[in-house]
Amino acid sequence: MTNHPVRVLVVAAAILAAGAAAGADDPPGGKSRAPFRSRAVPKERPQSRPGAAAPTPAPAQASGDGALVTRLPEVVRQAPAGPPMEVAPIDRARRPEVNAAAALIDDLIDRASPAAARADDAPLDDALFARRVYLNLGGRIPTAPEMVAFMASKSPRRREELVDAVLASPDWVSHAFNLWADTLRLRDAAQFPVYAWPYLDWVKRSIALNRPYDQWVREMLTADGRPWENPAVGFQLRDLGMPLNYVDHTVRVFLGTQIGCAQCHDHPFDDWKQREFYEIAAFTAGTRAGVEQYRSTRRGGTEPPSRTRLNLRDLSAEYQKLLVGKPKEELPYMGHLFMQHLRANALSIDNGPHDLQLPQDYRADDGRPGDVIDPRVPWGEEPADAGGLDPRARFAAWLTSPDNRPFARTVANRLWKECFGVGIVEPVDDFRAGNPPSHPELLEHLADLIVELGFDTREFVRVVVSTKAWQRRAVSHDPTSATPFPFRAPVLRRMTAEQLWDSILTLIARDIWAYQRPPYEAYALLGGFDLGGEGADLATAIPVFERFQKTLSQHAIDQRLRHGMNYLDVWLARASELPQPSLAGSFLREFGQGDRETIDGRREVATLPQVLTMLHGNHGRAIIDDGSAIMQALLANDPDRAIDVAFIGILARPPDDADRETVTMVLRSAPTALDGFRDVVWALVNTREFLFVQ
Amino acid sequence: MIPDCPPETRRGVMARIARSLFGVTAADALLAGATHGAAAGAPAGPARAIVTLFMRGAMSHLDTFDPKPGRPEQGETGTVATRTPGVAFGAALDRLARRSDRLAVLRGMTTQTGAHEQATYLMRTAYPTIGSIRHPALGAWALHADGRRGGDLPGFVLVGNANEHPGCGFLDPALAPVPVADPKAGLENTRRPAYLSAENFERRLALADRIDRDFRAAFAGPQVDAYDRLYGEAVRLLGSGELGAFDLGREPQSVHERYGTSPFGRGCLLARRLVESGVRVVEVEFGGWDMHRGLFENLPARAEILDRAMAALLDDLAERGLLESTLVVLATEFGRTPKINDNAGRDHHPAVFSCVLAGAGVRGGVVHGASDERGFAPDSGAVTVADFNTTVAAAAGLPFEREFFAPSGRPFKIGGGGTPVREVLA
Repeated sequence: MTNHPVRVLVVAAAILAAGAAAGADDPPGGKSRAPFRSRAVPKERPQSRPGAAAPTPAPAQASGDGALVTRLPEVVRQAPAGPPMEVAPIDRARRPEVNAAAALIDDLIDRASPAAARADDAPLDDALFARRVYLNLGGRIPTAPEMVAFMASKSPRRREELVDAVLASPDWVSHAFNLWADTLRLRDAAQFPVYAWPYLDWVKRSIALNRPYDQWVREMLTADGRPWENPAVGFQLRDLGMPLNYVDHTVRVFLGTQIGCAQCHDHPFDDWKQREFYEIAAFTAGTRAGVEQYRSTRRGGTEPPSRTRLNLRDLSAEYQKLLVGKPKEELPYMGHLFMQHLRANALSIDNGPHDLQLPQDYRADDGRPGDVIDPRVPWGEEPADAGGLDPRARFAAWLTSPDNRPFARTVANRLWKECFGVGIVEPVDDFRAGNPPSHPELLEHLADLIVELGFDTREFVRVVVSTKAWQRRAVSHDPTSATPFPFRAPVLRRMTAEQLWDSILTLIARDIWAYQRPPYEAYALLGGFDLGGEGADLATAIPVFERFQKTLSQHAIDQRLRHGMNYLDVWLARASELPQPSLAGSFLREFGQGDRETIDGRREVATLPQVLTMLHGNHGRAIIDDGSAIMQALLANDPDRAIDVAFIGILARPPDDADRETVTMVLRSAPTALDGFRDVVWALVNTREFLFVQ
Repeated sequence: MIPDCPPETRRGVMARIARSLFGVTAADALLAGATHGAAAGAPAGPARAIVTLFMRGAMSHLDTFDPKPGRPEQGETGTVATRTPGVAFGAALDRLARRSDRLAVLRGMTTQTGAHEQATYLMRTAYPTIGSIRHPALGAWALHADGRRGGDLPGFVLVGNANEHPGCGFLDPALAPVPVADPKAGLENTRRPAYLSAENFERRLALADRIDRDFRAAFAGPQVDAYDRLYGEAVRLLGSGELGAFDLGREPQSVHERYGTSPFGRGCLLARRLVESGVRVVEVEFGGWDMHRGLFENLPARAEILDRAMAALLDDLAERGLLESTLVVLATEFGRTPKINDNAGRDHHPAVFSCVLAGAGVRGGVVHGASDERGFAPDSGAVTVADFNTTVAAAAGLPFEREFFAPSGRPFKIGGGGTPVREVLA
């Protein structure tokens, strides 16, 4: 993977500076008492809800004429200074091939469609097309200037150019990250003592660099080492201590197959045998998370315990002694955090030889409890070149092989669903004989396509959205109707929680990237020290710990959001940059963001609290703040032109005559232009047209 | 057009706006459904409200309602004698033991799968997960068949997370539970912000409605309609004096203490307030039962929270005369292994587990069914998940024998077509 050393250093320096500033905000009475300087740490978890309205009454009060007193943070009122990240460029020269591949898909869909299905075909006008591209590929609505630029383009290929531009933008990275975060169950708070943050950023970076999917999956499945040195270990650490669940999740996510039931008994609906489950599990039986697991005497080896292990023990004991006599209230908290930090520096994924035995309650008659099981792939053959590898690497090579059809089908089906709203197999992680694809030929074609593209998922999406089918007007479809969806057009969808939040942010902030999560390299830089070295002692470790607490700890990061990006407890950052996942009850979770405990846990179900949030949430107040992006744009125009800006900036379409007449009336009867604009903006955001992706 | 507001009461204005903006209101639709359901001749059951306490993660039966004292499988969990002769509970359920005369314990529960998601879905809907349909949760069925009571409050409230809840399934989206993530915060965003005058709010609603008309006509369908309905319902609720039902701040400290200040304790208190105010179905989730490790360290505290909150709920309902018309259900998705694993925990065990019923329609002081001496499989009185749901439906007076048809034409029954357990029904 390409590193960005210069950018990382710049970001790290910025974090340090911000951390020092945050330190200045320490509450009175919490002033430095070396070596415990990170006093801003609260005793309780913060109550704020990222991206949510606060339950408490807002501090700002209305003045007589309803003016807003609170001010949006300056950083989001300004235009962005530059691009927030590097994104791999898209190969424009490949356009003809993309269009040819798209035409093949249209042929397949046409051949599978009865004549009646074609009756609903309707073209999508350019404006709605642009809105769909921004939302489905960029995760947010377009701004008024973006729409104006697109509509003004005279290029006959402006649709293609828009697709290519959005796919090569940070918006695509943010959006694709949200999708994978839901599937991979990405959480900031992983199992103690893992810091998951570097891994989350590594996933995002893999998307930004457009690394081939099979490569980054293979890397996750075979990564060794510490999270800070090799963030890809985060995937294996996600199921720390639950090796059989790890197997179940891995097969489900990447092969679309549910074998979890076979852990305890032969599968009830499918033909999975319990023994097969253990044969797969045997590949990863040697993977251990801990402190240099294969170098300690605990595993029966003759080597002495590793230096890291000894240092971890000694430094922990010394630190406990230091805590004696410290103020009571900070003891448990500081002790806990320091220990976590020590262990995070020591913890690694190691892979070594280890047999898997059948469990004591093994039920099937093809084996006895305690039998040693040899690893065996459940279908196909291990790739020839995997012969010399260790079992875990052999499994990863087989799983990600271009010859492993379920691997290709699963990712093709997932990406297809993201584009059309419905999978060819539903649910996307339940491929089996009893749950056949609605369009088998299309599915095989798409699996071929993703293999041909070298698992370039972005290029695959580029092809799919270039089909005529994807560029038709959306249709309503009841997923419970038991009739196959014909894929002549995308399904009408409510925005995902993240699309809705990022769209609202687009209305509020001129710079929607004003806050970004730190790059993973910063963690080793600011928090790492060599626990295995001769010189590892408290005098080295404590300053590093304190620096980390001030800069990259969950608390420090929360502080930056709370102090720098806060408008009435609404944290003005993109969903991909906010805590993962947002707290229960927050805006994002209210609108269906998953809890990241369930694979593909997000939902788009309508609930009453969502509507109450849309009507009275504090985000709505931020949208109509006179410093918001949309209000700035309106106030810069005369009323007639402002009506256009409002409709284009919120619904991505110009007003029709009736709209203009109604809105003009409202503007005329409003006490001030500002009040009138607020009514209009609020109303547009509270339409179903805004909430849905046509 | 933006009509001038005639001098009506605020409440009347809101209701009128809700009607004019959103066509038929949710209440109208629900009343229509109710008439339909009643006409079908539901058996008269006494329960007018249902409170379900859902123990997520699979509550161990051996350490709660089906202990095996003296057996090695029991581990470190002690027992406590109940008021029902010969029946003991896990030691942490002291308060419920003293109220066992109100409880019907089903010790022969058995389910089909040991996977949380699928088993939870099955317990809530009585149907297994399949790709082509979403089944309604029992609460949505109750509203569909029997309507909700008058008033502005929702008919079905879920204290917990809506994402993993089957909700209304294929039924009218208006029957989906209203999720309350944090009972302490109640239903949020119900207070009109200070900067927004009532006139402004109404003008904006009317304007949104006018602009949105074309889109709603073009994309009329269940998804868009659901939001139309909810906007109508929200506007109606915002003007309602009944919103106070969600405000736990109106309960004295002594009551909070009796329920416990855990989120689950508060959830039970909220459930009681909502039932008092006419809400038909409340489900309170309580997670954290998936104890693969350290069960004997962790379970007592969790069981104590359950014990305290459920006992307070039963007492309060009884004291107010509401237990005669409120069915209280304690459910979980499956049990846990009698064998204690290497991490001092118990693993997933679908073969047998326990559920509890109390209140309206239920005979108290009853234990139905038994697991074998190890707590491994039902010995007698085995009850499937469909039987259990059908029993709940019977106690709640829902027409469990009637066939209802999904939009796809497939027939379904409330409770999944099981057989009610007559032994626990009053």
